[in-house]
Amino acid sequence: MSSLLKNLPSEIKKNKLKTGIFLGLSAYWGIILIGTFVSF
Amino acid sequence: MEVFLPIAEVSVNILAIFFLSGVVGVLSGLFGVGGGFLMTPFLIFLGVPPTYAVANEANNILATSVSGSTTHYLKETLDYKMGLMIVVGGVFGTLMGIWTFTYFKDIGKIDIVISLAYMYILAIIGTAMLVEGLGEIEKARKKIIIKKKLHVHYWIHGLPLRMRFQKSKLYESAFTPIIIGLIVGFIAAIMGIGGAFILVPAMIYIIGMPTRLIPGTSLFVTIFVSVIVTFLHAFNYGSIDLILVFMLVTGSIVGVQVGQKLGESIDSTGLKTLLAVLLLLVGIAIAYDTFFVEHLIVENVKIDVNNLNSLSMFIKKLSVETPILYGLFSILFAIFLGAGAAFIRKFFSNLRKKYSKKTA
Repeated sequence: MSSLLKNLPSEIKKNKLKTGIFLGLSAYWGIILIGTFVSF
Repeated sequence: MEVFLPIAEVSVNILAIFFLSGVVGVLSGLFGVGGGFLMTPFLIFLGVPPTYAVANEANNILATSVSGSTTHYLKETLDYKMGLMIVVGGVFGTLMGIWTFTYFKDIGKIDIVISLAYMYILAIIGTAMLVEGLGEIEKARKKIIIKKKLHVHYWIHGLPLRMRFQKSKLYESAFTPIIIGLIVGFIAAIMGIGGAFILVPAMIYIIGMPTRLIPGTSLFVTIFVSVIVTFLHAFNYGSIDLILVFMLVTGSIVGVQVGQKLGESIDSTGLKTLLAVLLLLVGIAIAYDTFFVEHLIVENVKIDVNNLNSLSMFIKKLSVETPILYGLFSILFAIFLGAGAAFIRKFFSNLRKKYSKKTA
């Protein structure tokens, strides 16, 4: 786990596209889930 | 160029409707999806109230599915027995969907329910397609070939009432297609979509049908589901607007033909990722519209029937005075346009073959 965390910045740099998509999708899902709870 | 819709009681840009339904039709033809999950949000963005957008898109889907399944009928790529089993479930699912629709309409939450349903469906399909599309691109780049299992067995395959489906060469429980039909019918009734995006993967991975029979059978099922949805929306809420339906059907039928032709000549792997991004963008737009834009409360302006033109007046009167006749008329109207388009396509296809033989 610690090695994973240590290597995380280099992994992110290596897979910029994948990280971007992952963050984008997380933000998208976050907005619609929070929005749903607020609406009802 | 604005046109007034007598039933929805809003004005819409006629060119925008033709253009968008044509674009969605091209995407439908290219990717083999119905396109309802894109066109209904587009109608909402153009100012058509969600309840009307759902009902009229269902009527449009009826026309395009009649057109598509007639083409498959002529090619003999349709499994009626399997299709009818799915329809049995679809009828119950649609009725349940309409009851749910009525419940949310009565408590005044139907517009938010439709918007949320679209947001989630677009998010789920968009995410799945994006992940799959990126994976396919990477596999193609690295030239990785994955061997798949011939059959995967789920709990659904152990259900009783097994029967033989000759055309698909399957021996399976009748409950499998019925349950799938139930889910598809329910979603179709609430969202005004054909449900092909659920039906097609379910037919491939759960039922295990041969790929060549899937598009035709899926469209065959969609005809029945959209007939029920259209009729119930017309009868219960009087929300079918024949002027809007005509514009939608014309645009999408032309678009589907163009999309099918394009699909024969281009590789759609990269395009799948682009479609996924488009779906997610539409989802974001709905989320923004639902959560962040303050909606003005529009006063219900009583439309004076005498101020409408003769066609609008006729449609309005027919819808109010004879809702059953109007519902049946809107169904027959869509079937006529859809089947007509399929036969015209067949005619031109035969004509082209005849001339290419002569020149050879």
